[in-house]
Amino acid sequence: MRYAELQCASHFSFLWGASSCEALFAEAAALGIGALAITDRNSLAGIVRAHEAARTSGVRLIVGCRLELRDGAVVLVYPRDRSAYARLCRLLSAGKKRAGKAGCDLGWDDLATHAEGLFAVLVPDLPDAVCAGQLRQVATIFGRRGHMALTLRRRPGDQLRLHQLGGLAAQARVRPVVTGDVLYHHPDQRMLHDVVTCVRLGCSIDDLGFQRARFADRHLKAAAEMHRLYARYPDALAAGLDIAEACRFSLAELAYQYPEEAILPGLTAQQTLARFTWEGARARYPEGVPDAVAAILRHELALIEQLNYAAYFLTVHSIVRYARSQDILCQGRGSAANSAVCYVLGITSIDPRRHDLLFERFISQEREEPPDIDVDFEHEQRETVMQFVFNTYGRDHAALCATVIRYRSRGALRDVGKVLGLPEDLIKSLSSQVWGWSSEAVELKHAEDLNLNLDDPRLRLALQLARALIGTPRHLSQHPGGFVLTRDRLDELVPIEPAAMADRQVIEWDKDDIETLKFMKVDCLALGMLSCMKRSFDLLSEHKDITLDLATIPAEDPRTYAMIRRADTLGTFQIESRAQMSMLPRLKPRTFYDLVIQVAIVRPGPIQGDMVHPYLRRREGKEKVEYPTPELERALSKTLGVPLFQEQAMRVAIECAGFTPGEADQLRRAMATFKHTGGVVNFREKLGAGMVARGYSADFAARIVGQLEGFGSYGFPESHAASFALIAYASAWLKCWHPDVFCAALLNAQPMGFYAPAQIVRDARDHGVEIRPVCVNASRWDCTLETGTREAGTGEAGTGDMFAVRLGLRMVQGLGNAEAAKLVSARTQRPYHALDELYRRAGIPVASLMHLAEADAFRPSLGLARREALWALKALRDDSLPLFANTPEQREPGVNLPAMTDGREVVEDYAVIGLSLRQHPLFFLREILGQQTFQTCAAATGQRDGRTVKLAGLVLVRQRPGTATGVTFITIEDETGFANLVVWADLFEKQRRLVLGARILGVEGRVQREGEVVHIIAHHLHDFTDALAKVGQRDAIRVQTRDFR
Amino acid sequence: MPTWPTDRLRRLPGSAKPSPDGPLVLLGRDGRRRVVMAADAHAQALGIRPGMAATQAHALVPDLPALAADPAEDTAALHRLAQWAQKHYSPIVAADPPDGLLIDATGATHLAGGPQAMLAGLVDRLTATGIQARAAMAATIGAAHALARSKANPILVACDPGALVDLPIAALRLPGGIVAGLHRLGFEYIGALEATPRAPLALRFGQEPGRRLDQAFGRRAEPITPVTTPDTPQIHRVFAEPIAAAETLALCTAELTAALCAVLDSKCLGARRLDLLFHRVDAGIAAIRIGTAKPARDAKHLARLLCAQLESIDPGFGIEAMTLSAPIAEPLTFQPATSRLGEAPVADIAGLIDTLANRVGTAGLYRLTPVESDIPERAMYKIAPLAPPTLLRWPPNWPRPPRLLAPPEPVETMALLPDNPPVQFTWRGIRRRIRRADGPERLYGEWHRHEAERDAVRDYFQVEDETGQRFWLFRAGDGTHPETGSHRWFLHGLFG
Repeated sequence: MRYAELQCASHFSFLWGASSCEALFAEAAALGIGALAITDRNSLAGIVRAHEAARTSGVRLIVGCRLELRDGAVVLVYPRDRSAYARLCRLLSAGKKRAGKAGCDLGWDDLATHAEGLFAVLVPDLPDAVCAGQLRQVATIFGRRGHMALTLRRRPGDQLRLHQLGGLAAQARVRPVVTGDVLYHHPDQRMLHDVVTCVRLGCSIDDLGFQRARFADRHLKAAAEMHRLYARYPDALAAGLDIAEACRFSLAELAYQYPEEAILPGLTAQQTLARFTWEGARARYPEGVPDAVAAILRHELALIEQLNYAAYFLTVHSIVRYARSQDILCQGRGSAANSAVCYVLGITSIDPRRHDLLFERFISQEREEPPDIDVDFEHEQRETVMQFVFNTYGRDHAALCATVIRYRSRGALRDVGKVLGLPEDLIKSLSSQVWGWSSEAVELKHAEDLNLNLDDPRLRLALQLARALIGTPRHLSQHPGGFVLTRDRLDELVPIEPAAMADRQVIEWDKDDIETLKFMKVDCLALGMLSCMKRSFDLLSEHKDITLDLATIPAEDPRTYAMIRRADTLGTFQIESRAQMSMLPRLKPRTFYDLVIQVAIVRPGPIQGDMVHPYLRRREGKEKVEYPTPELERALSKTLGVPLFQEQAMRVAIECAGFTPGEADQLRRAMATFKHTGGVVNFREKLGAGMVARGYSADFAARIVGQLEGFGSYGFPESHAASFALIAYASAWLKCWHPDVFCAALLNAQPMGFYAPAQIVRDARDHGVEIRPVCVNASRWDCTLETGTREAGTGEAGTGDMFAVRLGLRMVQGLGNAEAAKLVSARTQRPYHALDELYRRAGIPVASLMHLAEADAFRPSLGLARREALWALKALRDDSLPLFANTPEQREPGVNLPAMTDGREVVEDYAVIGLSLRQHPLFFLREILGQQTFQTCAAATGQRDGRTVKLAGLVLVRQRPGTATGVTFITIEDETGFANLVVWADLFEKQRRLVLGARILGVEGRVQREGEVVHIIAHHLHDFTDALAKVGQRDAIRVQTRDFR
Repeated sequence: MPTWPTDRLRRLPGSAKPSPDGPLVLLGRDGRRRVVMAADAHAQALGIRPGMAATQAHALVPDLPALAADPAEDTAALHRLAQWAQKHYSPIVAADPPDGLLIDATGATHLAGGPQAMLAGLVDRLTATGIQARAAMAATIGAAHALARSKANPILVACDPGALVDLPIAALRLPGGIVAGLHRLGFEYIGALEATPRAPLALRFGQEPGRRLDQAFGRRAEPITPVTTPDTPQIHRVFAEPIAAAETLALCTAELTAALCAVLDSKCLGARRLDLLFHRVDAGIAAIRIGTAKPARDAKHLARLLCAQLESIDPGFGIEAMTLSAPIAEPLTFQPATSRLGEAPVADIAGLIDTLANRVGTAGLYRLTPVESDIPERAMYKIAPLAPPTLLRWPPNWPRPPRLLAPPEPVETMALLPDNPPVQFTWRGIRRRIRRADGPERLYGEWHRHEAERDAVRDYFQVEDETGQRFWLFRAGDGTHPETGSHRWFLHGLFG
């Protein structure tokens, strides 16, 4: 018995359907359903996933959509062919444009204008006059392609309803068709469906009542079962198969066309690209293009021509050229950096002469996949670039990709908890047991740790359902910068919807979907460090009269490398993380390529593949580097025989196991999507067999294969590592030679990186930079550089004149930019000399001045302590009478306010500007800690290997790398320095709450000294967060902690 | 009384009483958080403080006994305590919510043997009944309030207003916002605030700090409004000689009712409950209690309700006095009879309901209202006869039988799986052949209420037998999966 299911919602009908396309198609295959239509509500968002799932399961996908019209009518539509599909996309785009973000507003008239080639199925409610009217509409608009759904609802009068509907349909000459109205693939999903319904309606399960889906049996049913249930309607069953037969449109037919690039008159895109390329090459190599480079360029150009990608390169070129013209810093990264063409066009800065680049990694002939160039821009200027793209290509041809926002553990628990009526604080403390972004579910044992009653069925249900909800899409959001550009109208390929942000539009598919369909995408990403670098360059030219950019920073500077080897890299790009810092003294980078390896090696991939230690051993000369064959030596000599980059994996596959370049690229892709499919395994045998066949020992082959597998999705391509290393080097150079400039720029680019302003400032002071406090008469919005008196002897020799960094008003928590701007602009005539005068001249509300007072900004120039300023401000009123505005204040009797204790001042500093220029908070706890025999960080980390120590500090960073061992790194800091803690999984589980929650941590542990790297292996942890509250005698200190997974 | 709410609960009679030894906390809601509202001494010793999040408290102490806080009842109980203190210590006593009593002991201390002895006696009596208490006596309310909470241990008699200066400003009865603001500026103690010039202070924080300081230091009077026992409207009538005849009793009842209605009228109240007490010559008391559905002061109506129960009174050797009181009285104002000309007045059935209810009892008189549940047993809810109508309706085209059997009764059937109606069934020994049937209507268990309902399914059929009678049958289970039910058949209702 054959049956085609025509009405089925996937979970891309957000918070409505409850099953993934994969589950639906797998179930359909098991139930013997020949074709399955995915009909999501006013959306095609899940259709690409369905297309993929259909391919794997063997059940044919019928592309469809469920349209909910303005008057409440529901019509399912299925495009017959490519042009009907285009009309459907335009219909949806029009509805979404009219309704705004996440809505869709369509009427029968819209349907009529786009009806050609669409098969329609009306979903009726009751057999009444309304239904008869809708049937007439369907008959008029769709003619013989109009149908009406017959669906059993498992409610009283079911058979009668079907009978009457059948009668109405016959009157209107509309053919009935059997549909299942499926919401989930299996009956077990019903509870989850109730939960998502509650989430959608924002109510709890107890209040859901009649709003829940009341028609029963909304799961997929076997073909035989459908024939049994609808035995009275053989024609309606046949009608479903007829529709399925007629609607043979497949997403594979979507022929993607890249837009024609603006071409020089009389030249094709390829000729234009060639001209730009050779011009660029001459500019890059003024002394003449080296032969090797010219050969690479010719090879690449030939390949580009063959694959017809010239326009794509021109697009990226024009975007980059535009950014340069607007003085916006940008750099290409990712696989794009493999291309010499990109280098000479100025898209990347990786010289092909210095790097042995594998262009096949970038584009390959066999895989027929578009290239993917990512360009990073300063994060604050990216919007300008994006609008340029929209305006240049037109809004009918350019849109951003979507990003599917899926439930993660915390969100799932929060929503399920709310639905099941768990109290807010219970949900909060439960979700504090898992890392914020993880997909690790909250388990029963976590609830046990909190002394919660596990016999409570609601709690158990909540944890169980939350686990089931993880991974379910919640809504569509926009991709940070992935553009899809087309030559034909984009809204005929995919529905477009307006984004929440003005002037942006987003397609319904995400980047994986795009890749599946082989669309070309240009990524315009934002990189905070580029903003920081740009600010640094601006400050340099303004104050020190030095003009630099990324390309002209002095290369291979020994002093910079010396600094990097000392792991003195706080604030720099990439090499500032805990793991990177601990690797630096061991890897001892001396050249740029060492830095490239450094960036690539501290990644989960190489760590899991166990490549780090062999590499280090070989580098230190403790292990001999051996190559069984010269091919392998060619492939791996750069990295001492250890494959670290994706390209090397590919080259090993090509040269040692006989893969074609295309196959090697498939291997690379399998590695990248390892997480999802485990596809590497398919290549394992081929790889192993190929190597053995070429004379490698089975043992050696197995090791190499194991290392490649370990890459998972985390290995870097070499070119990408090189792009990152370049920025890392540039930032390190700045930090080394101009710490004042670097500190100011970094503070202004916050939030970014691993460290909070307190650590950046502290680090800058350690490097001899004078930091000046926020001041109403000196600070601007951004942190600035100031000349002026500085204590002699503190500056480092040879750096020329060092400037002082004045903290900006942006550091003051709660102060708005507009108010700060008023304050600064009113100051330009002459400085303020009294508080009430400032208040009158600047004209900003007292509340803003309060923030300034709390930040102690009146002390430096007006001599008002925090409390004095607050006292004075309390007397001001925003609604004071203008008549008295200029009369001198009435004489007030003097009031003696008690001075703040030093500890309190520091606590207040942290509370308002997130750092203190006074003492370290731990300084005030030293006495208490001393009594309990806690040492300083400096003393503890100075101990010999294996010693047991007790120390305490402010938690700066908590990190839990994605490696399998489950180790947590915590960095703590006190007034003497940093200490790096290692918390193993068992201690983490034991003191989970403390590890994740404490702001000041006391540690008992053991020193582990590995050369210059010192770790404290924690045995037991204490929470000193409350002790600090006592220092301030009020609120607990709020120190920004950065948590990363 | 620092732990008043928990102490109060421990004194409750009966099984609701928490165990006396272990810790006890009361939980309440602060916005969307659940917080500890009160913690007794044991709990505080374990580190639990009022204001702490409930989960934090639970995490600190496993199996922490926790009850729901009831601040309204705490205050009410405090008022009752004030009434008790009024009897024993001084005519002027007031409750000082949330946790204190104010006693104006002027001219009253000599009865208790002096101020020290009075305070000691008071604290002893409270402690003996399980209420933690501290007491202080001072020249002003403000001072006594502050001292009792921060210095008394357990009692303190302060003659010197200077005792206040080293107390924290939080003791001044100032709003939290002002206290926080003063803290920000470094004012920690009352002395520092007192020493500050008043004008600048008033400019910044308003009149409140000055007022409270003046009250504490006796520069400004602060009256106490003493508690009173609430007066129940009540009429007492003593007869010259005992009466016993039913007609006489009825006559007197009518008289008393008329008099009480006059009292109620003067207070704009209507009675919800009337207690009529008959004091017999043998010192026994007989009583009638009636209730009304709405506040009422229609003397005739009330008298009729009372007289209807007179037959239950045994006058014995005669009744020498009668008392009629209205323990529950609610405001009653006049309402226009109709709003528009020509509109039929809505029939007021309150009188009928009163009559019925006083005969069959209020529990037997109710209306049904829909509940949003698919489970037939849960789909309705009893409400008071005169409760305002709800907006909810049962879906009209999904008929439900007017009569449900509780619980559903098992029947013997023959039916084809998975979803065919039975051919015949036997209920209470009678076999019925089914002629027509509609179904199945599939109802799922409410998984969120009971774990047992997680997979439960019922398939309902509306069936008609040969005689035209209609029944509502269901099969437990969906006919396919054994975990959804036993697949046994039940009769759940009868159609009319």
